[in-house]
Amino acid sequence: MVKGSGSSPQRQTSLGIDRMTLRIAVLGVLVIAAFVTLFSRLWFLQILATDQYRALAKENRVRTVYSEPPRGRILDRNGTPLVVNKESIAVTIDRDTLQRPALRYHVFKRLSHLLGIKLKDLRYNAKSTGTSPYKPVPVAYDVHERDASTILENREDYPGVGVEPLPVRDYPAGALAAQDLGYVGEISLLDLKSSQFKGAHPAYAAGDIVGKLGVERTYDRYLRGRPGIERVVVNALGEPTQTRRVQSERSGPDLVLSLDAKTQRETQRALKSGIQAARNAGFSAPAGSAVVMDPRNGQILAMASLPTYDPKIAADGLSKKEFDRLGQATPNNPDDDAILNRPIQAAANPGSTFKVVTAGAAMATGVATPYSTLDCPGTITIPPKGGPGSVLYHDWTLADLGVMGFPESLEVSCDTFYYQLGYDMQTRFGVKGTEYWSGDKTDVPSGRELFQRYARTAGLGNPTGVDLPYENGGVVPDQQWCHEQYLATKNTPAPTCQYGWLPGYTVNMSIGQGDMRTTPLQMAVTYAAIANGGTVWAPKIGMSLERQQQDGTVKTLREFKPKAVAHLPLNSTELGVITQGLGEVISNPNGTAYSAFQGFPLSKYPIVGKTGTAQIGTSVFNDSWFISYGPTPDPRYVIAVYVQKAGHGGESAAPIARQIWESILGIDKNPTVTLGQDQSG
Amino acid sequence: MRAEGIFGEAVDRIGGEPISARMARKAPVRHLDLTLLVVTLLLSAFGALMIYSATVHQQTAAGIDPYLRKQLVYMVVGFVVLLLVAVFDYRYLRTFAAFIYGGIILGLLIVLSPIGSTQLGATRWIDLGSFQVQPSELAKIGIIITLAAYLAERKGEVRARDVAVCCAMVAVPAALIFLEPDLGTALVFVAILATLFLVAGAKIRHFIALAVVGLVVIVGSLHFGLVKQYQIDRFTAFLNPRPDVRSIGYNLTQAKIAIASGGIHGKGLEGKNTQTSLNFVPEQHTDFIFTAVGEQLGFLGSATLLGLFALLIWRALRIATMSRDPFGTLLACGIVALWAFQIFVNVGMTMGIMPITGIPLPFISFGGSSLITNFASIGFLLNVHMRRFL
Repeated sequence: MVKGSGSSPQRQTSLGIDRMTLRIAVLGVLVIAAFVTLFSRLWFLQILATDQYRALAKENRVRTVYSEPPRGRILDRNGTPLVVNKESIAVTIDRDTLQRPALRYHVFKRLSHLLGIKLKDLRYNAKSTGTSPYKPVPVAYDVHERDASTILENREDYPGVGVEPLPVRDYPAGALAAQDLGYVGEISLLDLKSSQFKGAHPAYAAGDIVGKLGVERTYDRYLRGRPGIERVVVNALGEPTQTRRVQSERSGPDLVLSLDAKTQRETQRALKSGIQAARNAGFSAPAGSAVVMDPRNGQILAMASLPTYDPKIAADGLSKKEFDRLGQATPNNPDDDAILNRPIQAAANPGSTFKVVTAGAAMATGVATPYSTLDCPGTITIPPKGGPGSVLYHDWTLADLGVMGFPESLEVSCDTFYYQLGYDMQTRFGVKGTEYWSGDKTDVPSGRELFQRYARTAGLGNPTGVDLPYENGGVVPDQQWCHEQYLATKNTPAPTCQYGWLPGYTVNMSIGQGDMRTTPLQMAVTYAAIANGGTVWAPKIGMSLERQQQDGTVKTLREFKPKAVAHLPLNSTELGVITQGLGEVISNPNGTAYSAFQGFPLSKYPIVGKTGTAQIGTSVFNDSWFISYGPTPDPRYVIAVYVQKAGHGGESAAPIARQIWESILGIDKNPTVTLGQDQSG
Repeated sequence: MRAEGIFGEAVDRIGGEPISARMARKAPVRHLDLTLLVVTLLLSAFGALMIYSATVHQQTAAGIDPYLRKQLVYMVVGFVVLLLVAVFDYRYLRTFAAFIYGGIILGLLIVLSPIGSTQLGATRWIDLGSFQVQPSELAKIGIIITLAAYLAERKGEVRARDVAVCCAMVAVPAALIFLEPDLGTALVFVAILATLFLVAGAKIRHFIALAVVGLVVIVGSLHFGLVKQYQIDRFTAFLNPRPDVRSIGYNLTQAKIAIASGGIHGKGLEGKNTQTSLNFVPEQHTDFIFTAVGEQLGFLGSATLLGLFALLIWRALRIATMSRDPFGTLLACGIVALWAFQIFVNVGMTMGIMPITGIPLPFISFGGSSLITNFASIGFLLNVHMRRFL
């Protein structure tokens, strides 16, 4: 670089050094830039972003661990255990292993060989995962202890495989009230958002085992007990280094149901036997319900639903496969659905059992008095004066049965008698056509539709409020319902309620046909109100919570009392004529249930009831109903029986009810049902 | 004292100053850079403390933390090396440059031979019984000496041929290190080379040419698969870190959490330093040691450490300008390049602004070869500084 020829050596050197100093300065600037960069980044992380990263550091190390306490037992009203806990050994595979196909295959193959489970089933179980992304997935339940220890002793042969004691439910009383008890399973995302589980303290979390159906679900907050909560500080390997107990674990209290195990068993047996008899007689009779309720307090003593299942298969929850086997595989055909709790979930036309409601409404609205009489012809034209739009309505028989009062109308189940009452109420309080439709709203004044209002007061058209999930409220059709149906179907070729409310709807409704739909439990509530002097109950199946104390005594922690939700607007005379009519249904040779109760000691145990035979448009078979209560004058039981596609009420349902009555009253040891005879509508 | 012999008769004064006084004034030991020495000791003590804090909780047996014990031994050995390097005149080194270079190549070849010892998937060490030597660390200072000796001869006139020779000289050890594999250390060599070119007086066109060649090499090695996909992933992970445990982004995420959660004052060495004491940061006593500083000592401690580093580099640059010959200047600048690059890449890596490479933090990271190399570098700097008047 140095070119000055005449310059001295010192100068040369100093110039060279100067050039070099300049270059070193460039290096210095680069170094300064690097340090400024590091300082700025350090400033950002440690001064500006500290809070955010402190939270991350905490997330890193603190794990909240919940321990699930033993779930509360479920007992019947006498303390007989229906649901208890049992320990079962489950084999699990961690998610990491499941996500690696080659390893997964290897592990499945070994497990399949060891446990004697088909590869296909292991794969299936591994797929039906729950919601918790951390828990290992159980692939086999009820594993033999010997196999479990084989796995534990040969860890390296079973990578990612674990053995977990899994508390499962056990059913010492056998296949009793499966649908009422329900079952438990891992909480679903939908459950987490549902009002049943939201807002609980402590909050439910993914992976929790909760009641999915039945009282297991309704009373889950109590049954689950109080989980233990621990805050664990873990290191990078997830090994705990410090543990702080936040809450100690406490087992769930026992839930006592109002169910009586013996009555439940006999009710189920009678229902099953009756359905079998109906099938033997040529009916299809795919399903049925029976409810036994105490009309004095609204407690449910027995509630049976057929087809049913052995709750044992749901001890560890229901897999998709088990679900399908229980009838969910054919959603278009609910007849084989064993999970459906028919007494509260299957709403159908009540047929003639509804006539007590029509009678009550007629008296309550002043259309009739207890002593009113009407003609019971074989056919009737409505409106009576005829003219355009008039319709000819048939009784179930063509014979003219002459003039009669309320008791006889119930006894022989005269349809034309109730058509007239229905039509009278329609003319005086009913609405017509698209009256009161305003835009998308319906605005019927309070003085109208009193028939429907009475039906609702009697417990129909809305869920009864029973302490079981997913209750069906049935339908009491009225102008608002009609409008809603129209709005929902107006773009179809034949909209429902196209012309608004037609008087014929009321006429059909008066004998429990048309769009009137009720559940067996609703009918039990309605009849209980007549039996007990007018109190409409929100029935209950859960009775109390109790806990066994250390000294062996049992302490009741809480009682669940059924609530009276309404009172029928009828006096004792009015209720009396209805009860009288219902008595004649059974005791009078013309009564529709006379044949079913032949030989029953009615003088000792005066039972009253009503048959119902609902015609279903698409089926050659009728639905068979029988609702009864007794012994009068102070009835202790209401029994509602409903058998689908099993003929007339007096043919199938009434004999089943008789069998239940005999069991409850202890007057017959022969538990088979013989069909009765009944031609009524 | 009287000077006789070649100086002839009675020359006992130069410029009016007695020779004995002049010699005493110019005696190397009187020009020791005490600041540099103090900074060195502070840094290595700082490092020992951090290594202790990052490893003490892993230890189960009683007694002194084995990592700390080893590091203290390395410090003593390092200090002896420093003294040895500082006592003789550094200018003699030029004579031995060829031997030093040969030694480097030999060491690196031994590593790649079956004798080399493998840890964490990389073969970087020679096992010598009770301790291991990492030749690539020693090679750093070796290549600085070799390049400085060669370029000092050019006296500011760097020709294209010299650039090519230097590149070739660096390429051989860098390639051997790259094969270990240790991409980070190989890059340190590139940084040293570029710095020495700059200071020795290479032309702009040389840099442009080198940039073009470098680009061709990078594209070529990517194209022909010389660089493995995992290396590319690791190298680019900092741009978009994934926090799951199996990915390299986990290290980075945990490192950032450790540093940033330290805040201004840090969490201290006891109890609350959860990222450190619960082992959330992998390799914390070696490559990720800065996270222990960040979490436990906070911004104040981290800034102090960076300040000490700045002081160190300032002293080294100062020595570069004060050296009486180009060799000393180039030697000091090479050392500046070595440290500045390692500090920037290492600290930048833990804070998520630089790629993740296996480069230790000078004086702080655990490791004997690295520490001894750095002490030797200090020795050379002191050497140049002491003899600036001779």
